[in-house]
Amino acid sequence: MMIYVVLLFLAGGLPYYILLENNKYLNSKQIFLLSGFLLICAIFLSLSLPDDHPDLLVMISFASAIFSIYKATKTTSFYKLGYYLIFVNAPFFILFQDRGIMYSISLLVSLTGLYLIAKFYEKNYGSANYGNITGITLVTPCVGTYLAFYLIALALYPPFPNSLFFLSYIFKSQHDLLSYVVVTTLFFGNFFLAMGVMKKTLFGRANPNIHYVHMTTKEKIIHFIVLIVLIVLSFFGLKETL
Amino acid sequence: MEKIILLIPSIPIVIAFLLFFVRKKELVPKVSIMLSSMLALLALSGTYYVITNDTPIVGFGGLLIYNQLSAILVPYVAILGLVIRKYATKYMWDEAGYRRFFILLNFIFSSIYLLVMSNNLIVLALAWQLLSISLYLLVSFNVGSNTAVRHAKWVMFIHKGADLIFIFAIVLVYDTFGSFDLAILSEKWLAMSHNLVESPMIFAIGLLFLIAAMMKSAIMPFHIWLPYTSEAPTPVSAVMHAGVVNVGGILLNKLAYLLLLTPAVLNIAFVVGLVTAIVASVIMLTVSDIKRSLGYSTVGQMGYMIMEVGLGAFSLAIYHLIVHGIFKATLFLEAGGLIRMARHESNLPKRLSYELFWEEKIKRKTKKAFNYLAFFTILPILVFVGVKVVLTDDFFEFNASIIILAFAWLTGTQLFMSFFKVSKADSFKMIFALVSSFIIILFTYEFVGLTMEHFLYGNDAMLFYKAATLNVDIIMTLIMLAVIMIVGWLFMYRQHFVDVPKVGNRPGAFKWLLYSFLAKEGYFFSLIKFFKKDNA
Repeated sequence: MMIYVVLLFLAGGLPYYILLENNKYLNSKQIFLLSGFLLICAIFLSLSLPDDHPDLLVMISFASAIFSIYKATKTTSFYKLGYYLIFVNAPFFILFQDRGIMYSISLLVSLTGLYLIAKFYEKNYGSANYGNITGITLVTPCVGTYLAFYLIALALYPPFPNSLFFLSYIFKSQHDLLSYVVVTTLFFGNFFLAMGVMKKTLFGRANPNIHYVHMTTKEKIIHFIVLIVLIVLSFFGLKETL
Repeated sequence: MEKIILLIPSIPIVIAFLLFFVRKKELVPKVSIMLSSMLALLALSGTYYVITNDTPIVGFGGLLIYNQLSAILVPYVAILGLVIRKYATKYMWDEAGYRRFFILLNFIFSSIYLLVMSNNLIVLALAWQLLSISLYLLVSFNVGSNTAVRHAKWVMFIHKGADLIFIFAIVLVYDTFGSFDLAILSEKWLAMSHNLVESPMIFAIGLLFLIAAMMKSAIMPFHIWLPYTSEAPTPVSAVMHAGVVNVGGILLNKLAYLLLLTPAVLNIAFVVGLVTAIVASVIMLTVSDIKRSLGYSTVGQMGYMIMEVGLGAFSLAIYHLIVHGIFKATLFLEAGGLIRMARHESNLPKRLSYELFWEEKIKRKTKKAFNYLAFFTILPILVFVGVKVVLTDDFFEFNASIIILAFAWLTGTQLFMSFFKVSKADSFKMIFALVSSFIIILFTYEFVGLTMEHFLYGNDAMLFYKAATLNVDIIMTLIMLAVIMIVGWLFMYRQHFVDVPKVGNRPGAFKWLLYSFLAKEGYFFSLIKFFKKDNA
C-alpha cells in the first residue's frame, strides 16, 4: 500500500499542493520541471508494481485532478498549465499503471513542446503568460501551428499519441463505474483546458500593443524534432490500438 | 493492384503535407486540385471495380474496405471536394490564411474518406474524432471574428460529446460481441437477427450509436451547432452542409445489421427524425436570418434522413444525403458567388435559379412548359401504376414505404412550388405541379431508391423494413397517409396563396405565441443569455 501512496505523491500533484503552491523559492518554471521529473520517477516506479490499483488511491487522485482542472482554468501561464495538466492526468496513470506508461510518455513529450513555447514567450514577451497575446495564427503562423499541434495532442485528438494510447487502454481494459467516471472526466478535462488556451492564443484579433516575434530557424528545428517524436509515438500508439 | 484504391484516405494528408512546402500562393490550389482530381479518378475506378467484380476491396489487415457503400459515397465526396476546391480558389484568394484553408480542407476530406472506408470500429472512432477537430479548425477559420470562434466552440462541445458516446458504444460492442471488425460483426448480427432475442445491452449499444449519430448530424435537441456556423467561409458551409452532417447517416448504414437486433432504436430514430423534420422545417420558415434559415433547412433534411433510417430504408437515407448534399452545396456556393458579385455591382444580382426556372419560363410561355411537364409525367404514371398493380403485391407490404413516399412528396411539392412560383391563382397549374411532383418522387423511389437498395443490401433490405415496421395495419397506414397528404396539400395551398390582402387580418393570441416561440428558436438562446446575466 505504501508504494501506491508514493506513486500518488509523485504523479498526483500532492507535493505541489502541500508544499510548493505557496513556496517563495521555486518559480512556476522550476515547479513545472520538478513535476515532470516526479512523473518520470513515477513511470519507473510503476514498472515494478503489479497490474492492480487500490480504488481509494484512484479516488484521491481523481479528486486532486478535478481540483487541478479548476486551478488550470484560472491560470494564463504556460508553465502553470503544464504542471496542472500532469496532475489532471494522474488518475489515468494510476488506474492503468504500467499500461499507462506510454500515455504518460506522450503527455510528457507534448508538455515538452508546451514548455518550449513557454520559453519562447518568456524570451520574447517577458513572461510565459499568454493572456493578451491573441491571434497568433495569423501574425506568427509558425508559433500558431506548433502550439495548435501540442494543444490538439493534449486535448486527446488523433492522430496524436495521447489520444491513441488513451483509446487503447479504454478499449482493451475491463471497466467498472470508477473507470468510466475517470475516463469521462479526463476526456473532457483535457479538452476544456486545451480549448481554453486555443481560444486565448490562436484565435482572436492580434493585439496592436504587442510586437509579435517569429520563431528562429533553431527554434523551428527543435519544435520539428518534438513533432517527429510525437509522430513516432503515434505509430506505436496506432499499432497498440489496432 | 486494386488495393491502391485503399490509399484514398491518405492522399489528402499527402496533399496537405505538400502544401506546407508550397511557397507560391498560385500553386496552392493548383497542387490541391490536380491531386484531388487524381483521387476522384481513383475513386471512380474503385467504383467500377466493385460494380464489375461484385466484390469489395479489402486491405490493411481488414481495417479498410472499398465496398458498395464506399463505391457510392467516395466518388461523391471526391467530386464534391473537387468542386469546392475549385470554387475556393478564387473565393478565398483575398482571405488571410489561404494555404491554411486548403490544408484544413484536405484534413477534413481525409477523415470523411477514412470514415466511409473503415471496416473496423477503432478506425471508425479515429475518423470520427479527426472529423471533429478538422471541423472545429475550419469553422473557426476566421480567427479574428469573436462570433465565429464562439460558434465553433459550440460545434466542438457537441462533437466532443458525440466522440465520447461513440467510444463508450464501441467498448460495449467489444464487451458484448468480442470483435472490432465490422465485417465479422455484421455477419454475427445478421445471424443473430434470425433468432431475435431482446437484450437491454444491445438496445443500449444501438441507442448510444444513434445518439452519437444524432449529435453529428444536428438532430434535435443537438441541432444548435449547425444553424449558427454560417459565418464560416462559404466553401466551409458547403462542406458542412453537404458532407459533415451526413456522417450520422453513414454511421447508421455501417451499423445497419446491429440495428436489426434493436427495432426499438429504429422506432426512436423514426420519432426523433420526424420531430426534427417538422420542427426544423417550421423554424426555417419563421427565423428572420437567411443563413440560419438555411441551417434549419439542413437540420430538417437530416431529420428526414434519420427518419428514413428509422423506417428501415437505409439505402434511401444514403440517396437522400447525396441528393441533399448536391442541392445544398449548390445553394451555398451560388450564395457565396452572389455576395461576391454584389460587391462589384450596384444592383443586387438576381438569383440564378430564379433566372433559370422563372424568368426563362416567362419568355417561353410557362403554360406550355407545364403542359409538356404534365404530358411527360401523367402518361408514365398510368403505365407505372398499372405495371406495379399487375406485377407486384409487395409494394405496400411495409408501411415504411408509404410514409416515405408521403413525406418525399411533401418535400417535392414544396420544391416545385418554390421553383415555379405556382400560386392558387392558377389552379390548373397548381394541380399539375402537385401531381408531377408525386410522380417524380414515385419514380425516384422505385428506380433509384430500390436500385441502390439492391446494390447496397441485396435481399437483406427487406429485413430492415421488417425490423423497423410499426405494428400498424394497412388501413390505419392508408388513413395516416391520406391525412398527411391532405394536411400537406392544404398547407402548401395556403402557403402559396399569394393574392389575398392580409391587411387588418391579425393572428389570434395562440398563433402569435406559437409564431414567437418558433421565430425565437424555442427561446433557447434567450434562456442562455438570461442565465449568463444572472451569473454575471
